[in-house]
Amino acid sequence: MTRSVWKGPFVDGYMLKKAQGVRAGGRNEVIKTWSRRSTILPQFVGLTFGVYNGHKFLPVLVTENMIGHKFGEFSPTRTFHGHTGDRKAKRVETPA
Amino acid sequence: MPARVLLGIVAGVHGVRGLLRVKSYTADPLALGAYGPLVDDAGRPVALTVMRPAAGAKGVVIARVAGVGDRDAAAALKGLRLHVDRAALPAPEGGEFYCGDLVGLTACRADGGIAGKVAAVHNYGGGDVLEIEAPNGSSMLIPFTKAAVPVVDIAKGRLVVEPPVEIEAGPDS
Repeated sequence: MTRSVWKGPFVDGYMLKKAQGVRAGGRNEVIKTWSRRSTILPQFVGLTFGVYNGHKFLPVLVTENMIGHKFGEFSPTRTFHGHTGDRKAKRVETPA
Repeated sequence: MPARVLLGIVAGVHGVRGLLRVKSYTADPLALGAYGPLVDDAGRPVALTVMRPAAGAKGVVIARVAGVGDRDAAAALKGLRLHVDRAALPAPEGGEFYCGDLVGLTACRADGGIAGKVAAVHNYGGGDVLEIEAPNGSSMLIPFTKAAVPVVDIAKGRLVVEPPVEIEAGPDS
């Protein structure tokens, strides 16, 4: 059963406070969190979270496309290290 | 920069007419043969033609190798690794780097100290992440952003990392 709309998206309250603090500071910071269950809100876009996967904190740079998903979706607990092939990595600029 | 890039590996056979199942490591699996002549581990050319994606298997394609016409001959090729010359890959666009070029680079700190070597490049949907392996064996994960990795110099085999400050968000913090 899906979550009732009247409740709004679930997010741990301290995540919002921390995000506001980091955004106000404007520094290059990673917010380490264990809250994989929290929903990604528009307020988090542009921030980098270190989401715990049971082993380490995986950096997750939040973009607009990720709104509505949970943090845990971007920090897999089981990983397979494949080959690089022709994969490319893009060095992005984080919005201030 | 590696001289060759591994693009695929023969995973098995398909049918009785010499077709192969090839696991492709390219972003578009069907582009396996699009980067130029493929060679095996010893550098011998492999005339491979990609035919179609394999049903129900992500990243696997059905392909044919010239001169292979039956199942036994195809089975003998199982495990064959398919490479392409690194120079055959097109130049990446601005701000982009081939993951294979980044792996193995020396990661230096802004003050000139050695942070380690790039062991892997991950992307789990939340942006590219560099895994830096320190000389003592520990590893750290750094987001591949201009703030955290201000300099990437593939020709000199190094990049500069400025690991971001980590702050905790938890019920007690």
